[in-house]
Order: sequence, then C-alpha cells, then structure tokens
Amino acid sequence: MPNNRILKYTEAIKEATDQMMENDRDIFVIGLGVTYRNGADGTTSGLNAKYPGRVLDVPNSEGGWTGMAVGAAINGLRPIVHHGRVEFSLLAADQIFTQAAKWNYMFGGVSNVPIVFRINVGRQWGNGPQHTQALYGLFGNALGLKVVIPSTPRMAKGLLVSALRDNNPVVILEPRWNFQVKQDVPTEVYGEPLGKARVATPGKDITVVAYGDGFVAAHEALSLVGESVSMELIDLVSLNPIDYETIIASVQKTGRLLCVDTTNEVFNVGSEIISKVAQQKSLRLLDAPISLACPNVPCPTSTALTEFYYPTKADIANAVLRAMHKPEITRALTFEELHLAPTITIP
Amino acid sequence: MSALLDAYKKMFLIRVAEEELAALFLKDKIMSFVHFYIGQEAVAVGVCDALQKDDKALGNHRSHGHYLAKGGDLKKMICEMLGKEEGSSHGKGGSMHMIDRSVNFVGSTPILGGIVPIACGTAFEQKYHNKNSITVAFLGDGAFEEGIVYETLNLAALFKLPLLLVVENNLFSTNSKLKDRRADTHHVEKIVTGFGVMYLKADGNDYQDVLGKAKKLIEGVRAGSPAVLECMTHRHLAHSGPVFEEEYREEDTAEHRSEKDSIKKMRQVVLRNGVSEKEIVGAENDTKKIVQDSIDFALHAPYPPKENLYTDLYAQ
Repeated sequence: MPNNRILKYTEAIKEATDQMMENDRDIFVIGLGVTYRNGADGTTSGLNAKYPGRVLDVPNSEGGWTGMAVGAAINGLRPIVHHGRVEFSLLAADQIFTQAAKWNYMFGGVSNVPIVFRINVGRQWGNGPQHTQALYGLFGNALGLKVVIPSTPRMAKGLLVSALRDNNPVVILEPRWNFQVKQDVPTEVYGEPLGKARVATPGKDITVVAYGDGFVAAHEALSLVGESVSMELIDLVSLNPIDYETIIASVQKTGRLLCVDTTNEVFNVGSEIISKVAQQKSLRLLDAPISLACPNVPCPTSTALTEFYYPTKADIANAVLRAMHKPEITRALTFEELHLAPTITIP
Repeated sequence: MSALLDAYKKMFLIRVAEEELAALFLKDKIMSFVHFYIGQEAVAVGVCDALQKDDKALGNHRSHGHYLAKGGDLKKMICEMLGKEEGSSHGKGGSMHMIDRSVNFVGSTPILGGIVPIACGTAFEQKYHNKNSITVAFLGDGAFEEGIVYETLNLAALFKLPLLLVVENNLFSTNSKLKDRRADTHHVEKIVTGFGVMYLKADGNDYQDVLGKAKKLIEGVRAGSPAVLECMTHRHLAHSGPVFEEEYREEDTAEHRSEKDSIKKMRQVVLRNGVSEKEIVGAENDTKKIVQDSIDFALHAPYPPKENLYTDLYAQ
C-alpha cells in the first residue's frame, strides 16, 4: 500500500538491513568501510552504533573475509557481504563461485550456505574500465547462486529481505547508477520473490525486457514513446533463474521483443532471453527480436566517449518506435540526462 | 595404555582402508579422483585426539584421514568414493568432498587454500556465539603458498578467533619439491609469528609429538589466540592415485619413508607401553574386518537414481 514515504534506493537497502538485523541476531554485515558514517554509500550508515560487533570493517583481503563469511554461513550465521565494486568481488571469486555456490550441491544437500552477497555493479561516471564492469553474464552462469538485480527502491528492500530469509547464497547485483532513484517504500518488512520477473507497465504492442539501470532508462522511455505505442515493460529482477514464463507469456501477447542490456553485447542477458524465445515453436513473432546493448569495448572514462556507450532512454524509445513503424523522436538529450545518475521518483 | 592402543587403531584403520581402496582403484571400481593419505596418519589422529567432540575440523583434497580421525562414518566415506547414493554427499562430491556434520567434520574441498578462510569463518561463528569450541583446518605445504592463507592469518589474529591451521608438510606439491618452490631463506615460523599467530613444528611421523604440540597450542587457541602447527611428514604415494615409486622424489626414497613410517613407529610405542603383541594383532584383525565389511557394503550399495542429477542445487 502506498504511504507516500519516498526513499532513495540506498535508504531502502539500509532500512531492510536494519529491520532484519533487529529481528535476527545471526545477521551481520561485513565489508570494506561498512562502519563509516556514510558506509557502503549510506546503505550501512549508523548500523555499527546500533548493532555493536555485528558490522565489521575489514582489511583489504577480499578473498579472506568473503571466505570467512562463507564459513560463518555454513555454520548457521547469516552474513551480508558487501563489495562496493564488482571488480573487488572477483578477488574472492573462488569463495563465491566455487565454494559458496557449489557447497550445497557437492555435499548432496547435507550442508547449506545462507549468505547474501551485495555487489555493486556497472555504470558510474568517471570510473573507467576497472570500476564499471557489468558482469551479469558471469554471475548468471555460476550455478548454485540465486542472482537478483533490484531496479527500484521497493525492489531493493523486498529482495534483500527475501535474500536474508533464503537458505542459499543469494547475490544481489546493485547497479550503482540507480542509487539516487526514489520511490514510495512500505514501512513494514516485506519480501519480494526471488526468481520472478515483474510486469512493471502492462502493454500490448511490444515487450521490453530490462533490468537495473536499463530498467530506469526504459521506464523513462515510456513517456517519450507516448500514447501511440502500448509498450509492456518487464523488470527482469531475477538473473538466476531467469523467469522465462513471464517473458514468454508477454511475447505471446505482443509478438515483439526488445531486450535492453547495460552490459556488452557479447554473452549478455538479452542474448540468453532471445535465444530461449527463438526456441519456442508455439510463439508467433511479428518481427525479429531486438537487442540494445553496450558496444564490445570496456567502458571508457571520458564523457566524450561514454556518451555513445550506454543505451539511453531515447535509444530505447526510438527502437520501440522503429519496431512499430512510427516516427522517431529527435530531441537531443542534455548533458545531465546523458551523464548524471537519475534522481527520478518512480511511481 | 588403552589411549595409545585406541590411537594406533585409528591410524591403522586409515592405513588399511586406504590400502584396500588403492587396490580397488586399480580394479577401476573408483571413478573418483583420489589423493591418498598413507604415511601422514599420525598428523590427523594426533591432532584430532587433542580436540573436544564439539570442536570442528575441515580438510582439503587429501582428507580421508582427517575425516576418519574426527570420527567420520567409514561406510559412508567408501560409498561416496564409489559414487553411491549412501555416500556422505550422496555421490555428488566424491573423494575430495568429505563431510560428516554429526561428528563436526564440516567439509573438505580441493581448491588449494580455499578451505582456510571457511575454517576461519567456522571459528568466527564459535566466537560470535561465545562457544568454548575451536576449529581446525588441515592443509598442505602446497596450499600454504596461496595468498588467501596469509589473508586468513591476519583475520584470525585481528578478530582473535579460535582457529588452528595444521600444515602437513610432506615436501611435495604434486611433484614439485619444496626447495624448488621457496627460497633457501624462507622461514615459515617467522612468517606465521609475524602475523601475531602462534607456531610450533612437530614430527608428523610421531603421534605423540603431534598430540603434545597440538594440545599445547590448542590451550591458547581456545582462548582466542590462533595458531599454526606445521607437521613434517611423508606422503607415501603419488599426489593422486595409488602409484608407489616416482623418480621426482630424489632423497625421499621408499626405504627412507618406510624407516620413518608413523604406523610402524606407533606400533612400537604401543608395545613398549605394555600392550601385548597378541592384543595388537587382535586389534589389527578387527580393523581389517571392519574395512572389508565396509567395502563389501559399499560395493553392493545402490547408485543414485538419475533424477538426483537435478536435486540439491538449492537448499529448501
């Protein structure tokens, strides 16, 4: 129920963490700088004072303390592991992909790992090739992990709650670009289902599947497209497993599919979805599926180059309009629209 | 007296079980990568005899001995190696994934050093819940070269965790000699104590030396002062599989290993302490029978059904 309580994405994460820590003494937070005043981009601020001994700043040893958290989870604690950039989580790749992800399966279900990895990914101005990787394909391919991507504050809170209630390793890939996005967020503790996509805006002409920062851009594209096209916008939410049921049901209705990726075009999420859709004999597509993605180069730093890197709301709107044989929009985007993280309030 | 005989029986069980499993391996009955522990038995049994029941242990790719010394179920272990449904991991893990939570053997995994921070987290939980128990991780001299081990030493010292790392130095990482992997000035004790972690070195072929030094360190570990026990020992077989003689070993000859053998040594200790030859032979025969019965059980146990390919990806 809407209660007109507008929170930022990061505030919603902090609220979920706080409420869950209050309920369950076995939950603790571990990560670099999580005890700072503005710890983990504000998502942990104040928690150290409220929960002494349960918010741990750690040495620069990602493999070591991520593994320590995995071991704690194997023995019944519920750690929230925070990696502020996905690249740093790769220093703990053995612990995430080979230990935590495989543990339950390789021991035949006799020992599980209830751990939450909060990993910030992707776009942020000025961060360049080693701070902006959007390694969705890598995490989607790591079997044994549940992987979700919250696109909005409401989903950020609900998915973190569900992750903390789950008995498996859950990776929450948090796009940094979405941190300033605002939304009305319920006060109470609630869970959003892991493993389910979400029809954010129903429509009948074309299915647009997006996630994370791509979802925000696609949401903004709705008003650019206008009334002439009825666009169904699906928030992917879950990367592992992908909820094909929701996507295929939508494409069955619309006959058209556009996938928006904010990662490189090779081995991206859209290719996975388009491949699955192409294999559905019962589906009657009205047109070839469309993929919008970043070019196959690392993300550079200069705004003169990043301007052409990420699909914009105008690119998405125009891909939809082209697919529907409608005139494209021609307004040029402002510098702010192109290069600053969105601060919009999503209904 | 009976404590020594009990310890000898545990060491003998590990030896005989592995010798029989090696024979089975040669008959292509074991389709699982196997790293034999033969030669190192005094380490596992010496350390585990210094533990309380509620203390936890974790191991590596070479962990049959650790698992059995902690009290792990022999039948389940052999079933696991044979890929059977009644294995400790229902056939999904195999030889490199030993687990028996009922005796606090938390698990073993083969990526070098990977288990070390997990053991640290196991100790973290013990401290978090104010338990009086400790955690032991078994690793080899090869794993001791992984960076994550040093990260963990720092973490364990920083958070004052009840963690004991047992480094079984058998002089080889696969076929690579220690002297080819470390400078001649390399100094394990200085490295470990440099982190503020206690260190002792034991003769890993001598049960009593291992037991005594483990006990000494564990006193501090239980009070939150982590430690490393390095045990110098010999791996009688190849890195993997039941091969007996290899050219890379140079001075580490079969003759030398036989002379230093922990089982032979322990048998003498037991005899010297008043246990009769007859009693020892009786215990050995009982142990051989337990092993044979367990192998027969495992050979006749059913394989997992094909549907199990898809189970256990996630816990409920």
